[in-house]
Amino acid sequence: MWSIAFKTLIADRGKLLTALIGVVFSTVLMNVQGGFFVGLIRRASLLVDHGQADIWVGHQKMHNVDLPRDIPRRWIHRLRSISGVKRAEPYLLGVADMTLPSGGFEGVVVVGVDQESLLGSAWNLRAGRPDSILASEGVVVDQCEYDKLEQPKLGEIREIGGRRARIVAMSNGIMGFLVFPYIFTTYERAAGYLKKSPESVSYFLVQLEPGADAGQVCDEIRRRVPEVDAFPKDEYSWISVAYWMTRTGLGISFGAATLLGLIVGMVIVAQTLYASVLDRMGEFAALKAIGAREQQVYSILFAQALSLALVGSAVGLLVVMAIQALYSTPRAPIMIPWWLSLGSCALVLVICLVSSVLPYQRIRRVDPLLVLQS
Amino acid sequence: MIAPSPQPPTERVIVRVEGVHKAFRQGTTVTPVLNDVELIVRGGDCVFLAGPSGSGKTTLLSIIGCICSADRGRISILDVDIATLGFPELAALRRDRIGFVFQRFHLVRGLTALENVCVPLILRGDEWPAARRRALPLLEAVGLENKAKTHPRNMSAGQCQRVAIARALAADPDLILADEPTASLDATNGQEVMELLRRLITERGKTAIVVTHDQRIFHYADKVYWLENGRIVQTREPVGAEMSNKGSRANHEIGNV
Repeated sequence: MWSIAFKTLIADRGKLLTALIGVVFSTVLMNVQGGFFVGLIRRASLLVDHGQADIWVGHQKMHNVDLPRDIPRRWIHRLRSISGVKRAEPYLLGVADMTLPSGGFEGVVVVGVDQESLLGSAWNLRAGRPDSILASEGVVVDQCEYDKLEQPKLGEIREIGGRRARIVAMSNGIMGFLVFPYIFTTYERAAGYLKKSPESVSYFLVQLEPGADAGQVCDEIRRRVPEVDAFPKDEYSWISVAYWMTRTGLGISFGAATLLGLIVGMVIVAQTLYASVLDRMGEFAALKAIGAREQQVYSILFAQALSLALVGSAVGLLVVMAIQALYSTPRAPIMIPWWLSLGSCALVLVICLVSSVLPYQRIRRVDPLLVLQS
Repeated sequence: MIAPSPQPPTERVIVRVEGVHKAFRQGTTVTPVLNDVELIVRGGDCVFLAGPSGSGKTTLLSIIGCICSADRGRISILDVDIATLGFPELAALRRDRIGFVFQRFHLVRGLTALENVCVPLILRGDEWPAARRRALPLLEAVGLENKAKTHPRNMSAGQCQRVAIARALAADPDLILADEPTASLDATNGQEVMELLRRLITERGKTAIVVTHDQRIFHYADKVYWLENGRIVQTREPVGAEMSNKGSRANHEIGNV
């Protein structure tokens, strides 16, 4: 039966191509749309994902890495005494103004990291080193923010929060969800730029001893310092992402667009398969007349739908990879996690199988008498 | 699965139709199509069902072919009362014991001539290599061995009908049912196809029921049943013999053969 299915599928190349285009279109639409969404929304947890910390400790009810509330630095000693904690360091975040060569100002998010451990410092540096910030007045800016910061150059002096800042390193692709560019520097210098007391921090970044359980350590942190909350990296990453998805219409709008793509693709595939079956109704009726059982007729449809789904998904994923390679930028990243690709392929498979069930209902009603009447 | 039977000996009843009635309903309108039809077809016979359009000949063929059921009456195929069979058994009976030849051939477009002949064998579970080995001699028998790898779209109507005849014989059925096998062909091709069908039926000891209104091929029949208004009104047997006269118009038409 499978052989008959494949041969008849390939025989009508025009319809095969139309159906394949439908499946490829569905796969590409779901992956690219989803990839843009993931790429954008993952920016909301960029600092957590790349922060080198196993646990993030912050103010109670902390809900977004970019919008912290200050907590006293002195609590760090209680954290360091907890079993399983290898290292706990202060981390400061806040918004300040940076001067621009044109005489204007641009809001920036200043990130202050511990100068000993450099835990949470900038990554993906294209010029300079992470410890360049130890140099006098040293800050790291991202080269993707050239336009906003009016072409900053290495060694250039700017002012942040009314204090001198020297650009000593350049990162690439550290772009947050907020409109403000990130500026990395030492904790003490950041406190100066932000006009905050060095005795307050935004977070404590915790690294664990090998084998320590993050969940248990978080529980112990909450017990020992009831005024704070603590989350493992992955959990806080998701909390930060969920904040924007649930408190803005972003999740709904992107989700609706992705769903729309799915529906459009489904309609194309379903319509093509249905039309193809209607076109061959006489053939199916003849098969039934000469003794094909219903299961045999359906297995032909099933095999054709499955082949379309597999080939269409594979081609679709290749197209997606090409699009990703050509068009994904730090400003508009297309991030396609494995579960998105796998999920889209599974959905396409379901669509194809459902689309083959619809004409099957028609075929079930096909009277083999049809072949004697045509 | 219906057990295969030995080649039907002459005089063995292959098809017995007794008191069959059939009407088609559309809304409240009931159109009688067959009215108390009686028919016996014996092994080796080549029987034609003829008559004007709407006389019920195709409906009778479809009832004998187990693809349409009668409202009343009894139909036995090879001594099996088909009313006692469920859908799977009826499908198996059609697949294993009956070969169909359709007016419009109904070949599978994506398959080659040889693969089309293989279809009934694949349906009954044969593997492709075995099916091809069995189908190739049939294709040779219909004179199309050089078209084995040709698709129906690249063949003439006459060649397609020859492939359909080979397909009908592939599963070595006892009974061949042909619905207007020459209607889609020109006169020459029609004669050739009928000649071939008749020869293969005789050579292989098959029984055949052919629906046709083409009087030019009546001479291939052992017996012609003439239907009018859902009844068999006239019978001619054998070719050239005097007919039992049950209707003057039918008598006139058959008399022209």
